[in-house]
Amino acid sequence: MTRFAVSVFGRDRPGIVAAVTRVLADAGCNLEDTSMTILRGHFAMMLVVAGPAGVGEPALRAGLDPVAGRLDLQVSVREVADEVTAAAAGGARYAAAVYGADRPGLVARVSEALAAHQVNIVDLQTRVVGEPDPVYAMHFDLEVPAARAGQVEADLREVAEELGVQVSFEPDEADVL
Amino acid sequence: MAVRPVLRLPATALKAVAKPVGAVDEAAAALAADLVDTMRAHDHCVGLAAPQIGVGLQAFCMDVTGHPKASSRAGLVVLFDPEVVASGAPALAREGCMSVPDLTGNVARPATVAVRGTTPEGETRVVEADAIEARALLHELDHLDGLLFLDRVVSTADLFRRRRYR
Repeated sequence: MTRFAVSVFGRDRPGIVAAVTRVLADAGCNLEDTSMTILRGHFAMMLVVAGPAGVGEPALRAGLDPVAGRLDLQVSVREVADEVTAAAAGGARYAAAVYGADRPGLVARVSEALAAHQVNIVDLQTRVVGEPDPVYAMHFDLEVPAARAGQVEADLREVAEELGVQVSFEPDEADVL
Repeated sequence: MAVRPVLRLPATALKAVAKPVGAVDEAAAALAADLVDTMRAHDHCVGLAAPQIGVGLQAFCMDVTGHPKASSRAGLVVLFDPEVVASGAPALAREGCMSVPDLTGNVARPATVAVRGTTPEGETRVVEADAIEARALLHELDHLDGLLFLDRVVSTADLFRRRRYR
């Protein structure tokens, strides 16, 4: 078995997921983790797929190229190492929201503050909404190294104050019921 | 009186609607004991419903006594044929389930709830709960309807539900 990272990007329209995943299914690939969403009218697919022995990058590209041509998509296929694991082992789960008036560099400043504490961003979604005064909103799912949450929150608040944006930082541990 | 195996997805029994227990008999009392024994056998487990041990009856147990997020604490609760008799405004929190390995998700549930059912002694009991206890009650009641938290999950992306695509 070989794993591939497949990414697809193009103007949104019905049928993109169906066409792309049909090619992968016919090639014997199992879709493992995927994330697909619309970004400003463009549909973005990110997939890690497991292919059977003998299926390589060229074969997958050859299968996807006609679909890309027909639906006007940018497609990339790349073999990925099997033993990729999350960088930070463990850590406590937190959710952070940052929002405020849009300005350049918001995500960079906030994520630098997180990286300085070895906080792992597990999921990040950002949106710009509203006119004429756009509001920028980010939502982070985070893994915070043990005992660093207090300092991470303090630094986030400092950055937020400097940037004139709002921040919330809350534990997001699941309750197993 | 036994610790029973806990079913996990894709076990189809988890998706079946449980049948009423009706009159409490010895078998029902034994089921109650097995539920409690099995719940106690798992660290961090605060509730268990009969379908999770492969029994298609409306029965569950719950105990949030030691839970750090608990506000109301009814102690050990074992109820047959439970029903929701009152519920408050919803709140969002991340849940997991012993029957759904590894996955967790944000689920909106009423933050307060009153549940009425029959105890293993055959008496009617009403449990009024909030915080994690309310969430646990509703999670267990869902199991009796063949519903898992996955059926109710709300994506974190829903913070951004009002999307402007263009």
